[in-house]
Amino acid sequence: MNDWPRRFEAELVRLGLQPERAHRLTAETAAQAGEHAADPDHFFGPAHLYARHLVAELQVSTLEEKRAAAGKVMLRLAGVTKRYGRRTVLTGVDLTVRGGEVAAIVGANGCGKSTLLRICAGLTAPTSGTVQRTRRVGFVPQDGGTAGWLTADEHFTLFGAAAGIAPRKARSTGAHLASLLAWRPTGSQPVQELSGGTRQKLNLVLGELHGPDLLLLDEPYQGFDQGSYLDFWRQVRAWRDAGRAVVVVTHLLHELQHVDHVLDLGGAS
Amino acid sequence: MTAALVVAGLSAREVSRRRTALLLVISLPLWFYLVRRDLTGQSTRMLAIGIGWAVSTLTLFVVNAARGVDPRLRISGASVAGVIGGRLIAMSGFGLLLAGGYFLLVAVDQHIERAWAVALLMMLTALIAAPFGSLVGALLPRELEGALALLSVCAVQMLADPAGSIAKFLPFWSAREIGTYAVDGAAADLLWRGLAHAVVVWILCTGLTLVIFARRLRLERYPEPEDH
Amino acid sequence: MTPRPWLHGFLDLCLLAMLRERPDYGYGLAQRLAAAGVADIPGGTLYPALLRLEQQGLASPSWAPSENGPRRKYYEITPAGLGALRAQADEWRVFRDGVDALIGNEMAGEHTP
Repeated sequence: MNDWPRRFEAELVRLGLQPERAHRLTAETAAQAGEHAADPDHFFGPAHLYARHLVAELQVSTLEEKRAAAGKVMLRLAGVTKRYGRRTVLTGVDLTVRGGEVAAIVGANGCGKSTLLRICAGLTAPTSGTVQRTRRVGFVPQDGGTAGWLTADEHFTLFGAAAGIAPRKARSTGAHLASLLAWRPTGSQPVQELSGGTRQKLNLVLGELHGPDLLLLDEPYQGFDQGSYLDFWRQVRAWRDAGRAVVVVTHLLHELQHVDHVLDLGGAS
Repeated sequence: MTAALVVAGLSAREVSRRRTALLLVISLPLWFYLVRRDLTGQSTRMLAIGIGWAVSTLTLFVVNAARGVDPRLRISGASVAGVIGGRLIAMSGFGLLLAGGYFLLVAVDQHIERAWAVALLMMLTALIAAPFGSLVGALLPRELEGALALLSVCAVQMLADPAGSIAKFLPFWSAREIGTYAVDGAAADLLWRGLAHAVVVWILCTGLTLVIFARRLRLERYPEPEDH
Repeated sequence: MTPRPWLHGFLDLCLLAMLRERPDYGYGLAQRLAAAGVADIPGGTLYPALLRLEQQGLASPSWAPSENGPRRKYYEITPAGLGALRAQADEWRVFRDGVDALIGNEMAGEHTP
């Protein structure tokens, strides 16, 4: 019984709730069990499972509220077209994503999803059409994007330096963000020795290390096991709750009920 | 500038973990030197070119390995100069260390009139090699092609007649010129020519590297969205 | 007892109706539901539902001390909650009448007046 509230609160924080709110909810939940003179473990079940259940139940109403209270436009694509010589990869793409919204880009392989994301990131220019985008953006590529021989901490330092963050702050921010994904980087392991799922978590942390307003994710959960996969979507919801805009390229369709916009690029060209 | 220094430091750390590659690269100039040890002039020049090859090859690999990371660093806010400059600083530093070590070897093992000039030529070669390797890496994105290109350049450099026209277009020509001045007691003329050549090659290689990467790592500047 | 899937859609309705009758806290509401024969609601369903009502502004919380120590969180229906209750109650009546109409002929023989 004594441990249940602590585990409950820890899981709430991990799921993206603000620490004060998690603390309040924990106190209330313990009191609720007390009303029935019951042990929380018997009354609600295992702490981490009830935490997830509660957050999921509460997300339902936040989803509806967020639609009304969405923030300012973080990304606007109008008539974006991309041609490589004779080959047209994208035609007339329109998309508006506001803070607190999640957009999914779906479609068969080869239909231009990654190209569109790269255009949003600024790595490629559109052939025609306009792009308006907030300045602070984070990019999480499909794979690669890390230096195999460096450790996770060194990556935090490196990416932090790129954003003008002091090394120590970058490392502590990185460690904190990693803990939200249930990952504790050990000091000395080079990244190439990490499992695929862990490397993707590193990629997520590196993408958001500098606190961007817009996150661009390219199918980052391909190497995920089931647990990590669920963690990824919780992270997306946490970003959304924090008022950030998220764009995810994916070919997996079963999480789309959590998403505000779906952009279907259709079949392969 | 701090970003460049952090990139430099981490680049150096990254390279230092590749023990085997590092060992091979560091020891190659030694073989070049030993093969011609009896002839002071030849051995010194071979050593220098060996150092040039070692540093430029290592830089080539470092630059290519960073292809995945660099665009992300740019998106996080780094400048092209910070990212590329940082790597060049690291590899130049490594080159200077290598040159320093080998200079000690030569100074002890051989008797040279103008030992300081030998130190100079080895240092210059190391300093040129980093941007040269970086340039080759920028132009030839696949490692095998890049390594072969470097090998060809160094081979031709060693075999070509320094007085001939081909040699002057090769990056490490300064090593041979200043080497002749240092070992064979030639006129100061060669020293200045070698120095000038080294400076020009360095500027050319560094400049071209930055231009190519500025283009490749270019980020589109999009305006902030108007809210409506 | 009503199986849960049926009640899930109308749990909010029941809670709002009870709160309109009088403000109450979690345990009290659970008891009233059970007394009405509606269902034996597990805490893991009841409390998230109450928190949702609070989040949507349909019920407002307040704290009051209890006889044996810890203070309790009481819920009171808000004007918005009254509006939602009316709307959901209308939906319920439509649904109930519809289902009654469909099964009416079937069940007529089993009702012994």
